Amino acid sequence: MQDAVARVLSVTEHPLPYYSIRLSLPAVYDDAEPGQFVMVQVGDRLEPYLRRPFSVFDVAAGPSGVVGELLGKVVGRGTELMAKAEPGDEYRVLGPLGRGFTLRTQGRSALVAGGVGSAALLLLARSLAAQGGAFDFYYGGRNQVDLPCHLEFGRLAEQSGGRLVLTTEDGSAGAAGLVTAPLDEELARGSYDFVYSCGPMGLLKRLAELAVRHGVDGEAALETAMGCGYGACLGCAVPHVEGRWALCCKDGPVFGFSEVRW
Amino acid sequence: MTPRPDLATRVGPLELANPLMTASGTFGYGLEFAHLTALERIGGLVTKGLSPEPILGNPSPRICETRGGMLNSIGLQNIGIDAYIDDVLPGLSQYPAKIIVNLFGTTREQYEGLARRVEGVPDIAALELNVSCPNVQRGGIEFGHDPQVLEELVAAVRQNTSKPIIVKLSPNVTSPVLIGEAARRGGADALSCINTVLGMAIDADSRRPLLRRLKGGLSGPAIKPIALRIVYDVHREVGLPVSGIGGIESARDVVEFLLAGASAVQVGTALFRTPNAPVRILEELETFLTDRNLAAVSDLIGALEPYD
Repeated sequence: MQDAVARVLSVTEHPLPYYSIRLSLPAVYDDAEPGQFVMVQVGDRLEPYLRRPFSVFDVAAGPSGVVGELLGKVVGRGTELMAKAEPGDEYRVLGPLGRGFTLRTQGRSALVAGGVGSAALLLLARSLAAQGGAFDFYYGGRNQVDLPCHLEFGRLAEQSGGRLVLTTEDGSAGAAGLVTAPLDEELARGSYDFVYSCGPMGLLKRLAELAVRHGVDGEAALETAMGCGYGACLGCAVPHVEGRWALCCKDGPVFGFSEVRW
Repeated sequence: MTPRPDLATRVGPLELANPLMTASGTFGYGLEFAHLTALERIGGLVTKGLSPEPILGNPSPRICETRGGMLNSIGLQNIGIDAYIDDVLPGLSQYPAKIIVNLFGTTREQYEGLARRVEGVPDIAALELNVSCPNVQRGGIEFGHDPQVLEELVAAVRQNTSKPIIVKLSPNVTSPVLIGEAARRGGADALSCINTVLGMAIDADSRRPLLRRLKGGLSGPAIKPIALRIVYDVHREVGLPVSGIGGIESARDVVEFLLAGASAVQVGTALFRTPNAPVRILEELETFLTDRNLAAVSDLIGALEPYD
């Protein structure tokens, strides 16, 4: 973990409210695990005051150093300012932080993203595809805009020997309905050995229940509010099955389905 | 060449290499920061509040950001005094920073027990009493809200320790000065001003409070003027050394607190955004003093220049 100044290299606008930012990062990010995150300080302002958490969406080592990418969604003042970033802008970035996904290349996996939760799954999809772990990628949103970078996820799923399954609540892309419906059918057929997921808490809870019902284990990257990102403020408490509070930033953000008291 | 300014200060009997400390509840137990900052440069570390037994804390959401600060209702989550002394303290003893344990209980007997527990531990330099917690023997009224109760509490702790006692005052009372005077009568050596300001935040769309437990403690730059006023009043009227706390993020903030009467300061919420904040502020402070040919940080304490 390192607190460094990262320079913006480019900003890609996906259909709003989504955006992605490519940043120059310190060498330590070359070893970032899929599912880890960073805390970004958006300016030196009183509002937003605290840093904002972002999944490490992508990272690649090149001749001029390590380049990382963050995929964001405008939800408030901080993310709105981030979306207006321009090449050359500098941000303080603390990371990589937290516990990432466990890489399982044996058997077949389902990767399940709810909206911008997909930001935690790209590095995982890349690693699985590169190491022979077959997976299907389930991507659900309210509408077609809610599925940023779905072509890239589809390409990686195909490369691994799997497919991309899109769902939208309004039917504007893929099957109409919730992402859990097609997943439920495949889980019932015994198609998967493991489920990886990231998205809103409600989705993750339903996924964990589905997986447990079908006797399949899995992991979820949780999205919570965070004050510091490294275990000092104790703000990101997650209920643990052992009756204590786990910290999303330090014990997670990736938790086993059976670790969380959903 | 100008000699480097003298940064040493003292909060009553507690001697510090410099005036920068970390505030309770914002620095974990200290070791979380070891690889993010030059821990050896910090004057004093105040621990997360410690109780006789571990406390689990409140459900989420426990924190929310507000303009210029944040609210928290962590619920006094901590590992307990024994785990701190056995598991954490050995890792901190290699650093020169003075270790101040922040202690709290729900009865006077618990505070006495905590004082006895740390009495024989040489690495602990002082006690900071958190008195902003409910007194179960008095219907849940905070110890620090009643001068008589507070005086008796501090006197009871005094009977059980030879270490310096610092009482952390709450801003959520009519007169912090009256409470500070009670702490002095009970035998306190110094006062920390201020604890968080009780506050609330609401989401207009969902109509929900932003904290699960509705209310929480406000901290950060938003509370600095309140803190400065209380430091000023308490320093002038109580006559005990004061450790200033509230929204400190820069050397100028530190100097303002010193001028108001603080002998040292604690950096809190700024650590969440900048883990290296105290060390960066310390470097800025040296520059501030050097640029103005000020020989010693202690010359600034209480050196406010009022209007004629």
